[in-house]
Amino acid sequence: MLAYLSLAAILFSIGMFGVITRRNVIGIMMSLELMFNAVNINFVAFNKFIVTDSLLGQIFSAFIIVVAAAEAVVGLAIVLLLYRNWQGINSDQVNVMKW
Amino acid sequence: MTSPQVGIVFWIIAFVMLISAFMVVSLKNIFHSALFLILCLFSVAGIYVLLQAEFLAAAQVLIYVGAVAVLMLFAIMLTNNLASKKIRQANRNVLVGFFVSVIFCFITLVLLVKTYVSVWGKLKPQAVLPAQNVLVFGKYLMTKFMLPFEVVSVLLLAALIGAIVLARKERS
Amino acid sequence: MNFQLPEIHISLMLPELFLFIWALLIITFDVVTKRKNEHTVGYLALLGLLIDGAILSVTGYGSGFGNMFFNDPMALFFKVIFLGSAFMAIASSFGLMHQKIVNHRGEFYALILFSTVGMMFLSSSDELLSLYIGLELTTIPLFVLAAFFKDDRLSVEAGMKYFVIGAFSSALMLYGISFLYGLSGTTDLVQMKINLAITHLTFKDIGVILSLAVLLILGGIGFKLALPPFHQWTPDVYEGAPTPVAAFLSVGSKAAGLVAFAKIFINGLYAFYGAEMAPNDWGRLVGVGAILAMIIGNVVAIRQTNIKRMLGYSSIAQVGYIMIGMVSMNEFGLTSVGFYMFTYMFANMGAFAVVAFFEDKSGSCQISSYRGLSKTSPFLATSLTMFLLSLAGIPPLAGFVAKYAVFAAAINMATSGVAYHWIFWLVGIGLLTSVFALFYYVNPVKQMFFSKEDSPYKISLSAPAFTVVLIGLIGIVLFGLYPDPILQFASQISASFGFLPH
Repeated sequence: MLAYLSLAAILFSIGMFGVITRRNVIGIMMSLELMFNAVNINFVAFNKFIVTDSLLGQIFSAFIIVVAAAEAVVGLAIVLLLYRNWQGINSDQVNVMKW
Repeated sequence: MTSPQVGIVFWIIAFVMLISAFMVVSLKNIFHSALFLILCLFSVAGIYVLLQAEFLAAAQVLIYVGAVAVLMLFAIMLTNNLASKKIRQANRNVLVGFFVSVIFCFITLVLLVKTYVSVWGKLKPQAVLPAQNVLVFGKYLMTKFMLPFEVVSVLLLAALIGAIVLARKERS
Repeated sequence: MNFQLPEIHISLMLPELFLFIWALLIITFDVVTKRKNEHTVGYLALLGLLIDGAILSVTGYGSGFGNMFFNDPMALFFKVIFLGSAFMAIASSFGLMHQKIVNHRGEFYALILFSTVGMMFLSSSDELLSLYIGLELTTIPLFVLAAFFKDDRLSVEAGMKYFVIGAFSSALMLYGISFLYGLSGTTDLVQMKINLAITHLTFKDIGVILSLAVLLILGGIGFKLALPPFHQWTPDVYEGAPTPVAAFLSVGSKAAGLVAFAKIFINGLYAFYGAEMAPNDWGRLVGVGAILAMIIGNVVAIRQTNIKRMLGYSSIAQVGYIMIGMVSMNEFGLTSVGFYMFTYMFANMGAFAVVAFFEDKSGSCQISSYRGLSKTSPFLATSLTMFLLSLAGIPPLAGFVAKYAVFAAAINMATSGVAYHWIFWLVGIGLLTSVFALFYYVNPVKQMFFSKEDSPYKISLSAPAFTVVLIGLIGIVLFGLYPDPILQFASQISASFGFLPH
């Protein structure tokens, strides 16, 4: 079980690295998907080894999958808008206002 | 891990997953990273199978690989005319990001081991998951988790409307 | 595992159902009438919110869907705030509809209503899964709304930033929730409170992992609240997003975050508050966030020249004051939080509404362009002054009573034991920064009233615009002079969390 949790932790950190370092917005979104997947592994692993009296963890991950898909759709629509307005989708290019 | 075979399969999948995940965040060509994302998502589905979450594995392949990743590929091809060129994909934060994520990873791993020793390792689960998982899963979805199930459909509708509004070209 | 269809009690969720169906009706109406009736659509949305308020007033307490849906005083109180802020946001967006959003008016209103439905579900959930779904239903329409000016680079950029940070923080929060699930074996918050306490007692050492989980969840909710260090998006998104949307973000979304915070921390993690929980004590973590919020918000706001950015930083600071009430875990704490949010709704929505009307006319959000407004539009200038003074906490306006309530709750908590003396720091910094806050709140007032030249803009208010300003004014004056009924109502929130008056 520790192996699964550690795997999830490493995957989560890789996703985090991607979100922080990517310039391309689509790259950021892909890294976000990695993070959501790491969370799902965590839930399913807990469900398998610790909380076996229900399928709550699996159901939670199913909902996360659905919500992440919805989020990806909206995100990609925003990416299209960015592209139309800037002819490019790199996040430091899109920075008129200072952070 | 119940048997050595499962153990071997786990390590293979884990290896593939982490390598491809690292490729996703580090490759220069964004198109290639999207392909590695698909590989990574597939291996997550493999992990689900090992963890007795067959329905989730199927949903993972259908939704993530079939829809989300393909959507990403489409978006890359629609927006990025630089797909084949080598351009800088990382911003100035590489070092910061590297340290933040390595430190986060390290802390999380240490805490996981600590908590495993003190809490999770001592817990003995009362039952094992039923073999007919999908059946139970569906029953849960239709009884106890009916409300979130309905609300998520509202959420999908809202996301759909929003995406259409944003992506539509205006005739003006 | 038992699979019985839970008792549904659908009458409890009538307000949500009604609002959802009304949102669909609005889109349909807008499409069927070929998007010609711009005012009718807006009035329909306002009418829906009014009817919904009426339905809400007859909705009772209780739980349905097998504890997935739970109406308690807190849920009802905050639902009033959500509906109120949606009402004021929609009413102040009429000018915008006329000028900039031509093709998607129905969708604009419907998305605001969808987001409101999400907030209402969130405030009625007593369970992490439905809480998460509610949070996402709140946020996803807001991503779209922030980017609603599709040709405006600033707006699209705001949408992108809000999206990236929103998704990132929800991933952080989910990771934290997964640890809570692993430690307690449930996502039901009441059950979690019990299970976590049992785990803590059985194993003596629950591990510092809980504080990691708390930090991660704080990341997710802190993003909604704009609580430092998760606040960087706030000024950018407020500046770029359409002004009514920024107003809705600053009040509705913030109130939703507060509800989620109260549910997770005060309910689920109840046992882990206090000095004896040393590494896992969430009170101090939140206290640090509140101190940062008050300092960053108030200090950086001073040098802003754009009034929307200024209000953005001011809203960060306001969260700091609200969090002081939140960490005061006694019967006054949640009462003061509820009251603060209620008055903040009037003052902030009012201020944003005036900014929106001024922007419709002049196209500018610079503070300097407000010069001499009192000579051409005295009513608007006076009301903006009142709103800003209420935000600054000047008596006899409602903001003063709210600040007083928060500080009173905190002092009450701090004097209750040596372990809570750190709350004095919060109070001290809160009082000090309130003085700072006067500088920047008074700046636009100075521009409007003490300028020799006349403003080139003469702003005449339409009927809905006038209504918004009037509601805001009545709110801050009435509840400043006579806060008792709201305080009474808000004190039921504390009671429903088990903080009974002595």
